[in-house]
Amino acid sequence: MKFKRRKLECPPPYVAMADIAFNLVLFFVIMAKTQDDKHIQWQPAKAKETQQAKNARVRVSVDQNSKVYLNGKEIGIRNLAEQVAIFLGDNHENRTVLLKIHKDTLASTFEPIMEAVSQAGGDVVHVLEEER
Amino acid sequence: MAGGATAGGGKRGSLPQTAAVLNLLTDMAFNLLIFFVVCASTKPDKGRAQQVPSSTNDAATEQAAKNLEVAITRTTIAVNGTEVPLTDLQSKLKGLLAAKAKPEDRIVVVRSTKDTPYSQWIRVTGQIEKAGGLITLQLEEEKEVGVK
Repeated sequence: MKFKRRKLECPPPYVAMADIAFNLVLFFVIMAKTQDDKHIQWQPAKAKETQQAKNARVRVSVDQNSKVYLNGKEIGIRNLAEQVAIFLGDNHENRTVLLKIHKDTLASTFEPIMEAVSQAGGDVVHVLEEER
Repeated sequence: MAGGATAGGGKRGSLPQTAAVLNLLTDMAFNLLIFFVVCASTKPDKGRAQQVPSSTNDAATEQAAKNLEVAITRTTIAVNGTEVPLTDLQSKLKGLLAAKAKPEDRIVVVRSTKDTPYSQWIRVTGQIEKAGGLITLQLEEEKEVGVK
């Protein structure tokens, strides 16, 4: 007795692939947006006429206890200019440095930070809360 | 993710079409839901760009002497030594800067005491920028003094 061999058609699962691709896109979007300085506790100062800040490679934060962080890692003010310059590298297009400074931080802390960013050739952008 | 299509009655060997389509739609809806949740949860930072050309040391230059000086303390603001309320600062500076056309003449030297809070500094420098001034910080020079 002869059996006819049935050809099994096995097309690539295009629908599943689209799903996977979409999920991957989502994953990378989330990874890109997730900042590593979420643990820093600070409150922004209020100001009128704020604008949406550009994406920046470098973020300098100061928390409620006046501790200084560079991209989420604690750092001393003395090393700040050097480290900011390293992070900025040779990128001439985007030299934005976001300053996330707690509203009650004193000038003795935030002025040297601004000086360091200026020395490193960064463009200062203060992260603020819109005052209504 | 939704699983394979098994629900629904169909003939043996044929895929129950409606169930398969429903599964795909559920997948898509779930993905879209996640997408919008992610977009909504990450709000972009808002802020103010500021050009800080350079800092000057306490040893004042001739040019610095010509520039306007705004002194900030925890509670007060003074323009060239005269105390000014925050509400009048912008108009006062506008008047003083009106005759100055060159950018180097529009420099406003900002000197703040060590106990000036950031929120006060931001308010004052915002007014200076609105009045058309270019901010320069004047920092006190740090000197190490050995004590025997």
